[in-house]
Amino acid sequence: MDFGFTEKQEKLRKAAREFFLNEMPEDFDPDVETMFSLTKEQTAFWMKFQKKAGKKGYLTPGWSKETGGLGYGPIEQGIVEEEWGFTGGRWPNASGLHIAGPAVQVFGTEEQKKKFLPGIAQGTAIWNQAFTEPDAGSDEANQKTTAVLKGNYYVLNGQKTFITTLIKPDYLYTLARTAETEPKHQGISLFLVPADAPGITYQAQGTMGFGTQLNIYYKNVKVPKENLLGELNRGFYHAMAAFEFERSGTGNPANAKRRLTEFIQFCKKTKRNGKPLIKDTDVRKTVAKMAIDIEIQRLIAWEAVWRHSQKGQLPPKGYDLSGFFNKINSTQHPETMMHIMGLYGQLRSGAKWAKFAGKIERRWQVARSVHPAGTLEVNKIVVAGRGLGLPRIPARFNKMIAESLQPKKK
Amino acid sequence: MDFSLTEAQEKLRKEARAFLEKECPERLVREMEEDDEGFSPELWGKLAKMGWLGLAYPEEFGGKGGSFIDLAVICEEMGRAMLPAPYLSTVVLCGLTILEAGSMKQKTELLPKIANGERVLSLAMTEPESSWDGTAWKPEGITVRATPSGKDYVINGTKLFVHDAHIADYLLCVARTREGKKPDDGITLFLVDAKSPGISVEILDTTAGDKQSEVTFKKVKVSKESIIGTLHKGWAPLEKIIKKGAVLLCADMVGAGQRVLEITVDHAKTRVQFDMPIGINQYVQDHCAFLVSEVDSSRWLTYQAVWKMSEDLPCETEIAMAKAWTSDSHERACWRGHQVLAGVGYEVDRGVLPLFSRRGKAKQLHLGDSDFYLEKLMQEIEQWPPPEKFRGKPLGIFDIPRGKQVPSWQPWKERWEEIEKRKKERKKKKK
Repeated sequence: MDFGFTEKQEKLRKAAREFFLNEMPEDFDPDVETMFSLTKEQTAFWMKFQKKAGKKGYLTPGWSKETGGLGYGPIEQGIVEEEWGFTGGRWPNASGLHIAGPAVQVFGTEEQKKKFLPGIAQGTAIWNQAFTEPDAGSDEANQKTTAVLKGNYYVLNGQKTFITTLIKPDYLYTLARTAETEPKHQGISLFLVPADAPGITYQAQGTMGFGTQLNIYYKNVKVPKENLLGELNRGFYHAMAAFEFERSGTGNPANAKRRLTEFIQFCKKTKRNGKPLIKDTDVRKTVAKMAIDIEIQRLIAWEAVWRHSQKGQLPPKGYDLSGFFNKINSTQHPETMMHIMGLYGQLRSGAKWAKFAGKIERRWQVARSVHPAGTLEVNKIVVAGRGLGLPRIPARFNKMIAESLQPKKK
Repeated sequence: MDFSLTEAQEKLRKEARAFLEKECPERLVREMEEDDEGFSPELWGKLAKMGWLGLAYPEEFGGKGGSFIDLAVICEEMGRAMLPAPYLSTVVLCGLTILEAGSMKQKTELLPKIANGERVLSLAMTEPESSWDGTAWKPEGITVRATPSGKDYVINGTKLFVHDAHIADYLLCVARTREGKKPDDGITLFLVDAKSPGISVEILDTTAGDKQSEVTFKKVKVSKESIIGTLHKGWAPLEKIIKKGAVLLCADMVGAGQRVLEITVDHAKTRVQFDMPIGINQYVQDHCAFLVSEVDSSRWLTYQAVWKMSEDLPCETEIAMAKAWTSDSHERACWRGHQVLAGVGYEVDRGVLPLFSRRGKAKQLHLGDSDFYLEKLMQEIEQWPPPEKFRGKPLGIFDIPRGKQVPSWQPWKERWEEIEKRKKERKKKKK
């Protein structure tokens, strides 16, 4: 048992921290800036920053040196992510780093790896994960977007929605139906779609707190045959396997810790009815509780990272609670903090009289959009089903049940 | 980073589980709850033979020289089996205090006897006035006086909620010997023979049916030689051991919680209602998923504190987090179990869950509850420095008012322009 890090790992942590602190502009406040609909200058800055970090290897420290990483393992990757999370920044290519990149590493052909990985590792390419559809949210396998093979191309048609991105993407990591099968998830494949292919249109979608997400429409989009990732009709399994990378994030709790640390400072400086907030018994209790929540999230994330580093030596655990705790904490903490702030809690950043720069109001709104990678409810079903082996109604009966629920025709 | 136990520790766990499954079945736990003494000397002797009583003591004192992690592993298994034995009182709270602060003579005399099961000890600390809240575990809460009288001291006063006092050979009495400038100055630890004249013990009827007592000291004479540690300076070593005890109590609750989880999931899979196992219902699954989260979170918070303690690293924050969280988390875990088990869960003659939740209540309160540790934790985290400032040169591109930030990419720009257009049109209409 060892909850600490080696000297070498601490050295890497310090180096990464110094790099981020030195490069992040003095006037950037992660909880105030929108970060999701960027101006020209902001876009240019974040791209430049991402490339700089890529050169240092801080985007993908866990990747092998051939693929543009630093050749470390998952633990070191977790360390750098933790430091990055603490700054509160967000890589424009977050989806590429955490989802598409690892998927290409595991399931890609040699050509695909050569073609796509360097761009991700060096921070030059932007990837989006385009999975969700109007009728395929929690039920990801209900993909309606179709991909039909015509000669050397797959032709894609359909709509993707709630696609998170900061900056104009270069590639879309997309799921599409390649066969009509029963069960549904056995006829889905993964495609690496160039984002500027003719036939793709983008439409902005306003969301709470996040600023902007996208609707993406495919209309007769031609995707070269060699851009199929992994096996045909196995895309759903590949995608789920690649999700494991996304869900073991050490960045989230670090980010939450930054906010709590700042909030403690705010409570020290701010007086309510003539008494500093921090002296209030209720405030003390709630703040301490939040600190525990964050520590739990940190430990659970690290357990997942550690398990990942022991791959092959440990039996799979079947469930992971990092997403579970992240969803609970990031929903409840802003509400708790807002409660402490009374009427002032509702003031947006930039508003006259706004306290704590309106950061909490922003997080409160963001808390309504914590559903990427499955709602908390889906998380619970996974824990109950995959983790504990509790039964569920076999999917083949779903249609039968739905039919029986229809009102009877006379 | 390594979340696993060593091979030796895993072996210890396996041995412990096998031993306890055989020697401490649920039947025995139930019997002991009803029993007046609630203690099986035979089982205690077996624990001694297994080497568990001296597990954490150095070999020179009849121990095995085990680590604090070993101790936590054993405690986790004891919690799982609900072992009815004065382990925490004797081995940890009293034994480790003697090891920490006692003289060489006291150590060589007492520790081997604890290790081989000949002596049972009990910590007499909490008092009637202070038992309303965490004051019970603070130096402020100690008011029972020990006054010098010739070569001896005379103790007067009442101690409450004293675990295992009724079977103890010795009581480790925490008494006030002077009013110092600070509350922790003037506290002395006396090792009192439990059979001394003037001591009366009365078992209290508690939720868990564990044996906690009222211990009254009426002009009890103790010699100066029976002081553990230094006169007036007993608080520091005692506090250190209370923390260790609290963390081990957490490990105990983790083991118990794990068992509650297993019982609950097993019930959800096998209990059939409406022609289906009840675990197919997502309301039931919700309880089970939360139960996992309660147990896992408690486990890692606890073992982080355990590891830091065994490595002698500063860990005030981690201890406070572990006990504050695990106390309440275990309570919630048991409640989830009750929700799923329903009728079976509250039937006391055969059900196990009542045993777990009742004992859980005692553990939640023992050695400091969540309120007590949340305040301790807050004292630690209010010292956290603010996050370091970014040092990059200011760009002036972030402080543009939100309404004036024109998005650069087409789809968002279109949306932004659309909103601006609508705003203008509305303004025009008003005019």
